[in-house]
Amino acid sequence: MRRTLPVALGFLAVALALYPLEATGYGLRVGLQLFMWIALAQSWNLISGLTGYVSFGHVVFFGTGAYTASLLVNAGMPWPLACLSGGAAGALLALIIGWPCLRLKGPYFAIAMLGLNEVMRVIVSYAEGLTGGGNGLSLPTLDASRSIYYAMGLVAAAVTAVTYAIVTSRFGLRLMTIREDEVAAEAMGIDTLRYKIYAFMLSAIGPGIVGGLSARDQGYIEPISVFPLIMTITMIVMALFGGKGTIWGPVLGAVVLFIFQEAVWARFVYLHQLLFGAIIVAVVLLMPRGILGVLQQKYNLPRTI
Amino acid sequence: MAPILEVRSAVKRFGGVAAVNRVSLALEKGRIYGLIGPNGSGKTTLFNCITGVDHVDEGLILLNGLRVDRLKPHQIFHLGVGRTFQVIRVFPELTALENLLVVTTAGYAEARGRAEELLVRVKLERLAGEFAGNLSYGQQKLVEFIRVLMTDPELILLDEPAAGVNRTLLNDLLDAVRALRDQGKTVLLVEHDMKVVMGLCETVFVLDHGEKLAEGAPGVIQADERVIEAYFGR
Repeated sequence: MRRTLPVALGFLAVALALYPLEATGYGLRVGLQLFMWIALAQSWNLISGLTGYVSFGHVVFFGTGAYTASLLVNAGMPWPLACLSGGAAGALLALIIGWPCLRLKGPYFAIAMLGLNEVMRVIVSYAEGLTGGGNGLSLPTLDASRSIYYAMGLVAAAVTAVTYAIVTSRFGLRLMTIREDEVAAEAMGIDTLRYKIYAFMLSAIGPGIVGGLSARDQGYIEPISVFPLIMTITMIVMALFGGKGTIWGPVLGAVVLFIFQEAVWARFVYLHQLLFGAIIVAVVLLMPRGILGVLQQKYNLPRTI
Repeated sequence: MAPILEVRSAVKRFGGVAAVNRVSLALEKGRIYGLIGPNGSGKTTLFNCITGVDHVDEGLILLNGLRVDRLKPHQIFHLGVGRTFQVIRVFPELTALENLLVVTTAGYAEARGRAEELLVRVKLERLAGEFAGNLSYGQQKLVEFIRVLMTDPELILLDEPAAGVNRTLLNDLLDAVRALRDQGKTVLLVEHDMKVVMGLCETVFVLDHGEKLAEGAPGVIQADERVIEAYFGR
């Protein structure tokens, strides 16, 4: 088991790296979106799965990254650097809003994040001079789908690797103590606010970068397209479905639900939202720990699975 | 010798209720103190004020002569004050070993060595890899107790250590507390079991309605008219 997982991951990485050589344009688009969802679900997991602070506005970092990267690209910066700057902008925003908001407990934090996303969307809509307001921003045309596919894949892998490193460290265990019992964590010498801010900033980098990559891929962004509440909900559902607080759960959830969505969306344009809603209800009611959470509990698996 | 902990005229109000009202006490190093009083007399609130979970509205709390009444719980912990809770607060989805590892800032190898040693001391070494939430009540209580000892604190506050613990375990626990005292640690415990308090503590403080009613050796306290009245009424 110790050997097979890395070997299997190696083969998978090679296969995914070779995929663009054969893929159609549509296939490439599906692949990069899948990577994007893995990165998003896994990033949400870093703050919400580990510390239990449910972020209901995590797409705000995606949107912030998208606008930061787009503005920088339009100012002449190469797109890979602009996208990384999008990640930095996400982390900076997380620091600024985490400082006050991570003192809020439980549902109040979730609601603050929900509000924050709306506020950012409105700010971006009104700052017409900079962002183009409701008309959106166009980026110079560029065919870089293949590069963006690899970049998205790298971000998804990096966020998962960071999650692995955290979950297997005392830093990660301390984040979990916040979820388990924050009062006891404080009393046992853990500076919970500081740890929450670190986790929050880490969780904002991935969405910031993929927001930038997604903007570069689409070539056009507007406030509604990069700050949609449904995106936050989707990443939450993916993480919950696969198993929040685990390493591979958000990856599993993103893969299963994304493929499901692609398959169903093509056939039932109107019904797929309804089906998605049904999955949310079913997961919360029947399997609140997600697929991996249930397996871990049942078979007493280590945290690294 | 200067007291390790000094509480001076501490007041803590919740709305119109003074849960702790002008309480003063001083603890000297290397002794075991008891804090008793009827339900709602302010014992846990006083604990919370000392450990930074609550902040006093008036008065001072000094640790080795240093004011700590405005510090946060994690800061007070790192000044050498460890505590347990009235209701067990282990981290249920961390293993027993992990519950201990998260506490200390020492290097991993050192922390692990210390944690394993403590688990052996309370005979829980075979359950080190078990989720704390799956342990029995008494075992969780032990984990919570040794978790406090991970950083070798100078002052240890125990909130009802004997509650819900069977005789054998209780005796082990009391021996451990005495051993701590013999190492020069100071212990302050809240306890309802009078036998435990009388057998263990060298000085007892009595709280009633948030005020300190009496202070003295267990034998003296037991005979005090006001204490008897507070507990049993007239």
